[in-house]
Amino acid sequence: MNQFIVQTLNGLTLAGIMFLVSSGFTLVFGVMRITNLAHGAIYLLGGYIAYSTIQLVGNFFVGVIVAGVAMALLGIVLERTLIKRMRGQVMAELLATLGLVYVMNDLALAIWGGDPLSLRLPGVLRESSTLPGGIVYPNGRLFILVLAVAIGLALYFLLRRTRVGAIVRAGVDNKAMVSAMGINVRLVFTMVFALGALLAGVGGALGGTVLSLAPNADAEILTFALVVVIVGGLGSFEGAVLGSLIVGLLSNYGQAYFPALAYFALFAPLVLVLLVRPQGLLGRTAA
Amino acid sequence: MSTHAPETRVASTGQQSFLARQQRWVPLLAALAFLLIASSYLYRGGFYGQLVTQMLIFAIAAMGVGFLGGYGGMVSLGQASFLGLGAYGVAVPMADGTGPWTAVAISLVVTLAVALVTGLLAVRVRGISFVIMTLALGQILFGLASSWVDLSGGDNGLIIPVAPVLGPLDLNDPTVLSFAVLVVFVLAALALRTFVASPFGLALRGIKSNEQRLKTLGYATRLHLYISWVISVMFAGVAGILFVFTNGLITPTALDFGHNGIVTLMAVIGGLGTLWGPTVGAIVIMLFQNYLSLYFERWATVMGIAFVAVVIFAPEGLWGLVTKFARRLTRQKPQPGQLGINEVPVGGSAAETDTTMPDPTTEKVQQ
Repeated sequence: MNQFIVQTLNGLTLAGIMFLVSSGFTLVFGVMRITNLAHGAIYLLGGYIAYSTIQLVGNFFVGVIVAGVAMALLGIVLERTLIKRMRGQVMAELLATLGLVYVMNDLALAIWGGDPLSLRLPGVLRESSTLPGGIVYPNGRLFILVLAVAIGLALYFLLRRTRVGAIVRAGVDNKAMVSAMGINVRLVFTMVFALGALLAGVGGALGGTVLSLAPNADAEILTFALVVVIVGGLGSFEGAVLGSLIVGLLSNYGQAYFPALAYFALFAPLVLVLLVRPQGLLGRTAA
Repeated sequence: MSTHAPETRVASTGQQSFLARQQRWVPLLAALAFLLIASSYLYRGGFYGQLVTQMLIFAIAAMGVGFLGGYGGMVSLGQASFLGLGAYGVAVPMADGTGPWTAVAISLVVTLAVALVTGLLAVRVRGISFVIMTLALGQILFGLASSWVDLSGGDNGLIIPVAPVLGPLDLNDPTVLSFAVLVVFVLAALALRTFVASPFGLALRGIKSNEQRLKTLGYATRLHLYISWVISVMFAGVAGILFVFTNGLITPTALDFGHNGIVTLMAVIGGLGTLWGPTVGAIVIMLFQNYLSLYFERWATVMGIAFVAVVIFAPEGLWGLVTKFARRLTRQKPQPGQLGINEVPVGGSAAETDTTMPDPTTEKVQQ
């Protein structure tokens, strides 16, 4: 039983990282209709930048913040130079971000090499706590879980309770009308894209503590994010929460109990959702 | 190969230049030149012979992407994984001691079965969701290949000891095998050409531009897309069988996201919805991978940038550019009523332009 609880906690940690990555992906898709296939590459780059920053400064939290800010800046640059050239052409945008994946991964390989790296948590986070019921669990994973929940709540507050969030949600529903209300939609787009990249970068920094940072880690996390958003519903923030929980838990149980067939644990929810509800559990329309 | 197009198909735009009058010979000559050049490389063998063989194999897989994406409007990002499925379909039974021909049959049946099942999912989504779904399917196949160690040999992959023997032709001879690949390539291209020009192919194009209208007209649109999906996957499966015999080895890497992206890049760089575009794309990208990489370590960066440039500046692809140029040479006017890139509705494929949606009268130039 204790083993099961530990696996559940592991699954929730994985879900937390998936949520950080997929919420950024789904937010960008919801507002801008951009399918950013470079989202996984941004995650990996964020993790690498956090690694180098921690090497340099020696502080984990500075590393996480630098990774997030650097990726947000990258997002702004990409949106202002590349994405705006293809505004509204969904397939062109998708394919262009696919091209970016090769550029970013190749440059990351040139700088950080192909060996798996992982981030070391500081001080007390490296130790373990004894939970009620006598379960010993690493503090680092609990920290990731708490931080993911905190970021999730902050995002929820931002989207549901602030003026900025209202503009973003209105942008999802009707861009033309938002523009007609005198709101600078261009700026909103750039900011949303930057926010998505920031979340991926922070996700990479946190993910680097439990998953390894290596070439192909980007494709793995992108797959998780894609399955999460298909299951939860493309463009739906709540869908990203629900999808992350389902996919994170199932994927971890799969890896723990049937390692050879773990990928069927990803496949099953995907198939079920596509057959029963192609728009995703909380999606409004098929995108 | 548009060598047999009937006279009536030639565009009649009144006054035609000399080039325009001679244009039906151009594709025939180009196809012959292509076959001659390819054959000479295959005959000589060695590094370039192997390279051309691999180009032809990936061209077959990319044709599947180009067909489904260009004519059906569904861009697949999982084609390399289906290629890997075809390859493992051969390698897994052969690892258990099955003969090569039986293994080929098993591979075809398995790929067909997977195509039939995944097709049920594929036709339920369109546009972006379709791309994402194929990417997820491909990654799941990759994950199975790397983690189902008992069956797939894990990261070490599986080795193919022998190739089949076809009467007097022993495919264990690399030259014979290379020419067998060329024959399959030509057959695949001819099959696709026939298919695209058939009423089914025309209906498929109609579905791409306006599915609702075709549905109202009584077409079984989902069935059309379903069959197209199965054909596209089978192209990848056949390419996979050729791949495993020419390489003698299959590892999970061949199924990963990078390779899936590359096969899609081939189709898009060449030109979606053109018969020869994916082949051109396969040639260009394999040159990047195998030739540029000899001189420049960061070839993937160059490839990525080149790809982004094609998407922005030449969305019709390299073959699209060629046919556009050819059309200008022969002074044909663009057909009216064709979709420009900016008129593509959200959810549709943006990588299409006038040259990718040919009017039947210009089909000759197109191919």
